[in-house]
Amino acid sequence: MPSLYVAITRKTAAMTKNNNELSRRRFLISAGSLAGASFVRMSGASIAAITQAACTARDDPAAALLSLSAEDALDIEAIAARIIPSTDTPGATEAGVVHFFDSALAGEMRDKRDELLAGLAELNAANGAPVRFADLAPGEQDARLHAIQDSDFFGLVREMTIFGFFAMSSYGGNRDHVGWDLVGFRGHNGAWEYPFGYYDATVHGGGSDGE
Amino acid sequence: MANKRTFDLGRPVDFAIVGSGAAGGIIAKELATAGFEVVVFEQGPYRKAADFGHDELATVFRLELNGDVSGQTFRRSDDETAVPQPRPPAEYAQTVGGSSAHFTGNFWRFREVDFRERSLLGAISGTNFADWPISYQELEPYYTRVDWEIGVSGAPGPNDAPRSKPFPMPPMPIKSSGVLLERGAKRLGLTAQPEPLAILTQPHNGRPACIKCGYCMWFGCEIGAKSSTLAAMIPLAEASGNCEIRAESAVFRIETDAQGRASEVRYFDAAGNERSQKARAVIVCANGAETPRLLLMSASERHPDGLANSSGFVGRNLMFNAHVAVNAVFDEPLNDYKGVQVTRIIHDFYECDESRAFYGGGGIDARPLWSATPILHSLLGMPPDVPSWGAAWKHEIAHNFTRQMSIVGSTTSLAQDSNNITLDPTSTDRWGRPGLRVTYMDHDDDIAMGRFLEARCAELAEAAGAVKYWPFDNLPTTGSPHLLGTCRMGDDPAASVIDRDHRSHDVPNLFICDGSSFVTSGRGQPTMTIMALAFRAADKIKAAAAAGTL
Repeated sequence: MPSLYVAITRKTAAMTKNNNELSRRRFLISAGSLAGASFVRMSGASIAAITQAACTARDDPAAALLSLSAEDALDIEAIAARIIPSTDTPGATEAGVVHFFDSALAGEMRDKRDELLAGLAELNAANGAPVRFADLAPGEQDARLHAIQDSDFFGLVREMTIFGFFAMSSYGGNRDHVGWDLVGFRGHNGAWEYPFGYYDATVHGGGSDGE
Repeated sequence: MANKRTFDLGRPVDFAIVGSGAAGGIIAKELATAGFEVVVFEQGPYRKAADFGHDELATVFRLELNGDVSGQTFRRSDDETAVPQPRPPAEYAQTVGGSSAHFTGNFWRFREVDFRERSLLGAISGTNFADWPISYQELEPYYTRVDWEIGVSGAPGPNDAPRSKPFPMPPMPIKSSGVLLERGAKRLGLTAQPEPLAILTQPHNGRPACIKCGYCMWFGCEIGAKSSTLAAMIPLAEASGNCEIRAESAVFRIETDAQGRASEVRYFDAAGNERSQKARAVIVCANGAETPRLLLMSASERHPDGLANSSGFVGRNLMFNAHVAVNAVFDEPLNDYKGVQVTRIIHDFYECDESRAFYGGGGIDARPLWSATPILHSLLGMPPDVPSWGAAWKHEIAHNFTRQMSIVGSTTSLAQDSNNITLDPTSTDRWGRPGLRVTYMDHDDDIAMGRFLEARCAELAEAAGAVKYWPFDNLPTTGSPHLLGTCRMGDDPAASVIDRDHRSHDVPNLFICDGSSFVTSGRGQPTMTIMALAFRAADKIKAAAAAGTL
């Protein structure tokens, strides 16, 4: 199979057809805006209070942070919440992605901790103390992240956010399988019967989408 | 466990086999059940079916089954300095059963043409394109043994090479990806045929049928329905009472005696202590990357360029099989993450076609690929016209994950001196062995064939009714689990490492069998042929033992 870690987009333009009749079929490049995110503007302090509680006492009051300070955890949670925002469906916050960060940085990914905290410090340095990234309004957070989205730091946070959102719940994130539920993946099922989906149902019979 | 056997290090066993994978597991079973004493060295741990799970992060991204790959480096050509990569370019599992424990199970036989294409097409300048010394007819009985003894499900296709016996069990029922590939093929006048798969569709040889959990690619099978040597061969080898699987034992040198014969295998045990096992003969089945590395590490005064390397062909002619993919999204859910990866393939482009003006052939399949699991989809399966984070990204993945599949093309690779495995001059692995250095750049014809198949994959996506599709650019090749050609088989000792019976030209009691034995690459699914070669090699080794010519 193809190897991982290969640039995805090098040859995309060649495949795009200039045929209006088929426009539905191909790259309908939307504005790419973040319209759809419905965020209630809250003060930095109240977001902090909420996420503080989320970070330290969501399920288990004894679950202390392993590798992150509460402040760093809040910032990471805020960044993750912009990468996979809470919309009409749960996002990184509800998945508890920050707990994945915390335990991964204490364990398998401990060699990434310094890089991550240095990137966070750099991000915060632009705020002017004592304002932290987590204190900024979502729109401002998005603008700040757009400015650094090609950096190694953002790449690392994005990858870890995805890990925390979709990896097994035992890693600390993907609480109640909210990540899997978002995309319709029922990986914990264990075994399946045909039909699996809409198209093989025409062969095997059964429900319209196999669910 | 009563049959479990352990052997003294000081007393020579009949055979030391280096590697427990697709080839090593078969040869161990064949020799042990024939009454020979066998020790199999595996550098990874001895995981059993029950040890395998569904942890995507650990398996696909932390490469739990791949084990320690420190020291491995990559470069495009020999004027570059090779450097470590995010993922190892030579991909293989370090676990009992080797990469057969985590393969996807696509089990195409070669065709007659694969063995004699050089004669049919002529030389290709700048390459080591050659015929095999054996034919399809000679290997056919062993393909059939793989079908029946290892366990292959399937149904014959219209242009398959002749088979002496039907498949032992029917093909896997078609998935949505297969239905869509069939639809596209029909509209384009192509033929989609059932995939031969090393995954059981019925109970067979005491093993259960697939439960369709969906965790095949890179995962070990927790019920033993995947036809690895771990599931199909190693239990039989151990039950003979003649075979010891010595796991967590990393071989670093094969010693030769004053007569120039292989005499012992030196290795690091689980604690990192140096050990040595004496043996009457040594069989190297360590894969197309590790086998040449071990031979090169075994250089001595008598063999200054590496063991069995008087030809200079050890490590050369590395062939990866180029792969291309077109990702495609459809209106309705496929839920292709369920079940095996591939149920339909297209072999209309298998043969070389002179009208294409480049050498090459290949096959096409449809499978979930990146949509098998959500982290893979997030990092590799998203369309290029969508922002890489935020609400739009979230909306897109929520819609696409169940509706997406990939149409995958796999191709020939030409044998070239410039593609090779060597010892890295500076890096070492965790045992202190010289790092495995991979030098690789696809031949222009390999890339042309890949691009040709990529265009066909896009046409198939369109014809199948995809609402959106885009290529996943995978050329030039940066790495592969297909590790082929690096100790090639041949009649000429000056241009090959082993003879047609897998005996090294230089060291009479040293045999080599794995992907390194290949002369040409086939069309992109090599493990069936590695296994057939292993059954045949075992027969030849047994015959040599019986004749007293080991």
